Amino acid sequence: MSALCFASFFPCDPLSLFFVFVILIISFPSLVFSIGYLKNEYSSRKIALSWILSLGFIFSMLGVVTTNNGFFFLIMWELMSLISYFLVVFDSKKSKSIQAGTIYIIMTHIGTTFITAAILMLFNYSKSFDFIAMKNAVELIPSGTKNLIFLFLLIGFGTKAGIVPLHIWLPYAHPQAPSHISSIMSGVMIKTAIYGLLRFVFIILGIHNLWWGVLVVILAAISCLVGVIYALIEHDMKKLLAYHSVENIGIILLGIGASMIFLKMDIPSLAILSLIAGLYHLINHAIFKGLLFLCAGSIYKATESLDIEKLGGLIKKMPYTAACFLIGSMAISALPPLNGFVSEWLTLQALFLGALNSSGFFRIFLGIAAASLALTGGLAAACFVKAFGITFLSLSRSKKAEEAVEVPFSMKFSMVFLSLLAVLFGLLAVPIVKYLSHLSQYITNIHLNTSFALNNFTLITQSKNPIYLSTPLILILFLLIIATAYFIIRRALPFQKVLINKTWDCGYYNLTPRCEPRFPNRGEYTATGFSKPFRLAFSFFLLPQTKTEKIKDSFYHTTSFKHEISTTPFFNKYIYSPILYLIMKTAKVTRKLQSGSINVYIAYIFATILLLIIFMEKF
Amino acid sequence: MHINIFVVIIILTVFYMATVKRITSLINGFLVQSLFISLYVFSEGVLTKNMELYSVAFILFLLKVIVIPLTLRQLVKNIKADENAGLLISPVISLIFAAILAGFSYEFADKIMPLQGKHLIGAFSISLFITLVGMFLMIFRKKAISQIIGLLVMENGLFLLAAEAAGGLPFFIEITIFFDILVSVMILGVFVYRINSLFTHIDTNKLTRLKG
Amino acid sequence: MKSVIIIVQVLSIILVAPLISGIIRKIKDNLRMRKGASIFQPYYNFLKLLSKDEVISENSSWIFKITPFIVLAAAITATCLIPLFGTGFSLNNMGDIFTLIFILALGRFCLSLAGLDTASTFSGMGSSREMFISSLVEPVALLALFVVALNSESTSLSLIAGVFNFKLSSLVAVIALFMVTISETSRIPIDNHETHLELTMIHEAMLLEYSGRSLAMLELATHIKQMIFFSLIAIILFPLIILPSFGLYQILFTIAFFLLKILIIGTLIALVEISIAKMRLFRVVDFLGFAFVLSLTALIIQTWGM
Repeated sequence: MSALCFASFFPCDPLSLFFVFVILIISFPSLVFSIGYLKNEYSSRKIALSWILSLGFIFSMLGVVTTNNGFFFLIMWELMSLISYFLVVFDSKKSKSIQAGTIYIIMTHIGTTFITAAILMLFNYSKSFDFIAMKNAVELIPSGTKNLIFLFLLIGFGTKAGIVPLHIWLPYAHPQAPSHISSIMSGVMIKTAIYGLLRFVFIILGIHNLWWGVLVVILAAISCLVGVIYALIEHDMKKLLAYHSVENIGIILLGIGASMIFLKMDIPSLAILSLIAGLYHLINHAIFKGLLFLCAGSIYKATESLDIEKLGGLIKKMPYTAACFLIGSMAISALPPLNGFVSEWLTLQALFLGALNSSGFFRIFLGIAAASLALTGGLAAACFVKAFGITFLSLSRSKKAEEAVEVPFSMKFSMVFLSLLAVLFGLLAVPIVKYLSHLSQYITNIHLNTSFALNNFTLITQSKNPIYLSTPLILILFLLIIATAYFIIRRALPFQKVLINKTWDCGYYNLTPRCEPRFPNRGEYTATGFSKPFRLAFSFFLLPQTKTEKIKDSFYHTTSFKHEISTTPFFNKYIYSPILYLIMKTAKVTRKLQSGSINVYIAYIFATILLLIIFMEKF
Repeated sequence: MHINIFVVIIILTVFYMATVKRITSLINGFLVQSLFISLYVFSEGVLTKNMELYSVAFILFLLKVIVIPLTLRQLVKNIKADENAGLLISPVISLIFAAILAGFSYEFADKIMPLQGKHLIGAFSISLFITLVGMFLMIFRKKAISQIIGLLVMENGLFLLAAEAAGGLPFFIEITIFFDILVSVMILGVFVYRINSLFTHIDTNKLTRLKG
Repeated sequence: MKSVIIIVQVLSIILVAPLISGIIRKIKDNLRMRKGASIFQPYYNFLKLLSKDEVISENSSWIFKITPFIVLAAAITATCLIPLFGTGFSLNNMGDIFTLIFILALGRFCLSLAGLDTASTFSGMGSSREMFISSLVEPVALLALFVVALNSESTSLSLIAGVFNFKLSSLVAVIALFMVTISETSRIPIDNHETHLELTMIHEAMLLEYSGRSLAMLELATHIKQMIFFSLIAIILFPLIILPSFGLYQILFTIAFFLLKILIIGTLIALVEISIAKMRLFRVVDFLGFAFVLSLTALIIQTWGM
């Protein structure tokens, strides 16, 4: 075991440096946000506790990504999980928080078990926990064991990242934590799992089999679709954002899995390109998911509710939050010229060029992967139209939403900071891609002579027929056209009046109530209504169930009619509940061993000692 | 180890303790056993002219022959326990069991630590025997005091092993072990007293509520 | 020189787009045994709307006001990407075929938001349905364009336009693209753009609350979007002729040839529109599913080398 020394924590690795950057760039605004967010929510002691835990959390994550020793990696990993558990159950009065915390801690420990097993298997061959020693010892490992190590790493890190079907803790844990912690957890903590995959699989283990990459891509595509479909029907803002994290991890892993495939197929430029796409999406997701969670925190602070069915009209009351949420929504829906668009475009290009350079099964496989990426992009956009539209636009649906006020400066600052980053990372795609190219070349140990930039504003893919992308040009063109149109429409043509009046709504004016109860406005579209087409289209997967209840006064007169729609949580019901049931049954049977009597217990020890003595000669 | 009269008496006391029916007899047996262990150590000290062994024998005598039996007798008087030691199996069967354990320890201890020189019985087998009988006492006796004495007998066995196989443990560690034993007996005594005052009995067979 | 040509190209598309819509409607009306309005009716509508006052809902916010500009800008920016007069004349440096899809998605996103903005039931419903249909259309469009790009070995539009692509897979992909066009231009069987009936409008529903000059911009954007999709199919099926030299005669010939291609596609669309009835919303899922299967088949055929 290597000695305890601080040198083992120093980020001397480009990969560690990148992740340190990701961690810090999200933690900084989140911490600033928490100044305003926690102010009147909790007692000052609890706020101090929250600060200590948050800082501890950030330091543990920094420790995870900077250590170059497997043992310390595990210690820091466990520390990170524990501290985040305490942060999830921070609001300990709510029973939902406790339940969320329990699910979280169980799932994260299952993951940690697999990671520990994998690291110990590596240690078995390398006799040292140092990463470089492990890397050198990989040749000695038989290929069956390598496959096993890879699977354990995938399951272990996948639990933390939120790959389907190991994702069930995400929608419980992320909503329950305070918003700034949710943003750090969703933006950064699940990325440390990706760091683990990159470190252990790419750098230490090396890609040895083609089916590794294929498995990752399949799991990624499934995660994308499952995540976004569940997000579409969610009406709790944070739970919706948590499901989107599952989807985006899928997109990141699409890039990384494709890179694994291309590495094994020996197409170095494409391997680099897909890895760049995956890493770019990683940092983009950190930025816009962090931003969206902070905005959700503002909404919660202003209206004390995260149920979008009860919000509405907030754009007039909270303009900054609305603008930042809009930028976040556009970024996550991959709309140009923001950052989400660039990373999704790069992923699509990588998949396309891969399909071009391969044949047969892989061409079809990569084509289907690209189609699933397009589907999730479309569904994500739909989901965020719903989320932004119902929350911020049209009229308020409850009194609380009516009385919302804009949040204090510290919260505004964080949100604006992250929005600016989202825009910048979209426009400054070229320097970022150059940097990520160097990083990817380090990770995959390939050296490319070409860079991915034509000039400072245009990206170019290094293929036989180069393809270009220039986000600044798109933005400039947009602004030019808007300016020209504005000039023509509003200035050049003769002046005309713009009147403000009631919504036409095909003439149904009376849907807007004039007297109490004024909420909700019966004419407005609801979130449930908005998502109904999706619920019906994906009903084979969502398995919606309807319950109606009619209370009748007499045969002809109904006094109340209740219509309840719910969807069955597929993974909970069909995978986890049976496993839990089995475990409980086994536990009940094993319980009979515990008789409660001291004599029996000592007899167990006695019997064990006798058995050990008998068999000791065999060793 | 030199098979002298002391060792024989020690083995006899072990058999005695396995079959006895009353608590005071148990304590007396323990007393005699500890006495002869200390005498054995003393004779070893004389033989090898080791200063440390003298002091160890003396401390052993003080602690295990005087202090601890006194404490235990005081405890028994305080809780006014029934003299019955609460055997779960009859004395005859206990004796047979102890004999089986003796054979077992002779057979297997041999394989673990082979005999050296002219000794017929290894030190390890005797110590193992004493330890196993100590554990046996803890299992097949109902009263809590039997458990304490069982623990002490186990410690005796281990002490013999250390004294013989390793030529005596370092002095400092021996002192620490003695101190540990003293403190644990006191604490256990307090516990038994508390159990008695709460449950009005110290029958461990009836204390089965601690289950998951 | 190139930028001038691109600007001319874009302006010509903007000018011609309403005409194409007019011609398609005229063909439909004639086939329905009606005289129909003149083919220049969309221009008359546009000018009429420019002179009208606007009424804005009191419930709406700045998103409502800014959306027409964004939608129009998205449509025009997307037009810049398509080469018409020759393979070099598009803003190739800006993006490729995937970028085009995403830019159009931006316009659609903002329009759906505007639909929800006014607290009007019909606009909200239009937004919901539009996002639903478009999210199902995206994989179809992407896969079809994927196949086409595989055949031309690049996703760059100028390269797609330059290759004469009569492979079977491209044809099947174009059929799928045709179905995508029907969906994106909100034509029967997916949407009826001539009506404002509650249950039959999707795209029109989102525009319901707009009036005056904003409505003019949005309608123009719709025409341009239609032109974009038609041009896409046109340049895939009938590639551009590389001009030997660059004189006035050649330019006129290119424009005429281009218009011919567009008219053929427009006629096909008109024929489809009058032969089928509009589908229920959930039947649209099956329709688009069939289109997806077509794209997938195209991909498989492409992999086999055809």
